[in-house]
Amino acid sequence: MHFLRSSLIVAGKDLRSELRTKESLNAAISFAIVILVLFSFAVDPSAEQTREIAGGLLWLVFAFAGALILNRSFARETANDCLDVLVASPVSGAALFFGKALANWSLLIIVELVSLPVFGLLYNMNWARSPLLLAAVLVLATWAVTVIGTVFSALTVNLRLRELMLPVLIYPMMIPALMAAMRLTTLLVGGEAVPAEDWIWFRLLIGFDIIFTSLALALVEVVLVG
Amino acid sequence: MDARNFTYMFYGFAAAWAILALYVLTLVARERRLRKELDTVRRMVEQRESKAT
Amino acid sequence: MREKTLFALGVLAAIWLVRNLYVMFLGLPDEADQGAIYRILFFHVPSWFVCFTGYFLAGAASVLYLARKNPVYDVLAVSTVEVGLAFTLIGLATGSIWARIIWGIWWTWDARLTWALITCLIYAGYLMLRNAIDDPTTRAKNSAVLCIFAFTSVVITYKAIDWWRTQHPGAVLSFRTGGGAMDPGMESMLYQNFGALLLLAAVLVAVRMRQEQMRREVESMRRYAHAI
Repeated sequence: MHFLRSSLIVAGKDLRSELRTKESLNAAISFAIVILVLFSFAVDPSAEQTREIAGGLLWLVFAFAGALILNRSFARETANDCLDVLVASPVSGAALFFGKALANWSLLIIVELVSLPVFGLLYNMNWARSPLLLAAVLVLATWAVTVIGTVFSALTVNLRLRELMLPVLIYPMMIPALMAAMRLTTLLVGGEAVPAEDWIWFRLLIGFDIIFTSLALALVEVVLVG
Repeated sequence: MDARNFTYMFYGFAAAWAILALYVLTLVARERRLRKELDTVRRMVEQRESKAT
Repeated sequence: MREKTLFALGVLAAIWLVRNLYVMFLGLPDEADQGAIYRILFFHVPSWFVCFTGYFLAGAASVLYLARKNPVYDVLAVSTVEVGLAFTLIGLATGSIWARIIWGIWWTWDARLTWALITCLIYAGYLMLRNAIDDPTTRAKNSAVLCIFAFTSVVITYKAIDWWRTQHPGAVLSFRTGGGAMDPGMESMLYQNFGALLLLAAVLVAVRMRQEQMRREVESMRRYAHAI
C-alpha cells in the first residue's frame, strides 16, 4: 500500500533525524522530570492525595512535554525549503501527516515510558499493576494528543509566534481526550480496577481518535498543499 | 411579578446588554480605524501613481 | 447589504426585542421556585442558539471556502465566528449569574459547562490564528481547517446534556423531548427571543463582513502601493 509505505518512510526519517540529535526528546524528558520533581515540592502530597491526582499530574506533564515535541514536528522542515520539497514529492499530504504523527507518537511514548518509573519512584506508586490496560490508555491517549498536535503544527508552521500559538490551539481541542486519560490513569496507576461506569472513557478515547484522525487525514492535504 | 432574586436578574440582563454594547463599540472603533487606513492608503497609491507617470 | 436595509433590519430587531421584554416581564406567569431570576433564561438559551447557529454557518462557510476558494466565504466565516463569540460570552455570563442564585455557585465543571468553555476557547484561538497570519490566502485556508475542527466542540456541547448526567438542566424544549416539559408560553418566548437576537446577530455579521471586505481592500492596495 503506497500510503502506508510512504508514511513509514516519513516516520523513519523523522525518527532518525530526531534520534541523531535528541534535541526535543531531551528537552521533553527533562521538562517532564523537572515538573514531576517540582510538583512534589509544591504540594508535598501524601499517599492518599497522590492516588487522587496521579492521572491529572501525569497527563498534564505529558501534554506539556508533548508540545515541545510537536512544535518541532513541522518546524524542522522549514529550513532549506524542506517542507516545499516534501509537499512536491509523490508522498501525499495525508501520508506525510500520518508519518509525522507516527514519529511524534513514538517520541511521546518514549517520554512517557521514562516518566512513569520516575513518577513511581518519587511518589511511591506502583504504576505497573494493570500494565495492559495502562498501555492501552497510553497508546490511545498519546495518539489523540499526537493527531491534534501534528495537524495544528502543520497549520502554524509559518507563523512568527508558532511556539505560543500551537499550545493555545491544541490544548482546548485535546481536553476530552486528556480528561478521559486522566480519569483512567488515576484509576489504573492507583492499582484499582476500572468500574463499569468508567468504561465510557475508553469509548470516548476511541471515538475521539477515530473522528479526529479522519478529519485530520481529510484536511491536512489542504493545509500543506493548498 | 415575583420579585425574589430581582437584583441578580437585573445583573444578568445588564451583563448581556453590556457585552453586546461592548461588541458594537469594538465594531464602531474598527470601522473608524479602517476608514482612516483606507484613506491613507488611497492617498499613498495616488501619490505613487502620479510619481510613476 | 445596503446601509439602509441594514439599518432597517437593526431597527426591526430592536423593536422586536423591546416587545419581547414587555411580554417577558408583564405577560408571562412567574416560575414556581426561582423568582425573578428565571427570566434570564430568555436571554441565556437564545444566546446559545444564536451562537451555535453562527458557528454552524462558519463551519459551512469554511467547507465552502475550501471547495470553491471564493474569498466571500472566508469573510462570512470570520464574521459569524466573531459575532458568535460575543453571544457565547453572553451565554456564559447569563448562565453563570443564574447559577449563582439557583445553585449557589458561579461555575461548576460538569460536561455542559466545561464544553461550553472549551468551545469559547477554541473559537477565540481561531481569531488569534487569523491575526497571526499575514498572507490572506494562507489565512483563509488555515483558519477554514481550524473552523472545521472547532465545530466538533459545538456538536459535543449541544449533545452534552444527552450523553452525560450534568448539573446543567437536561433537555426541556419540546423539539428535544416531544413536549410537556415546559410551559408553552415560556417556550414560545424563548423562540421569539431567539428570532430577535438572530436578526440582531445577522445585522452585526453584515456590518462585520463589510469591515472585513474593507480590510482586504486596504491590504491589497497597500501591496499595490509598495509595488509601484
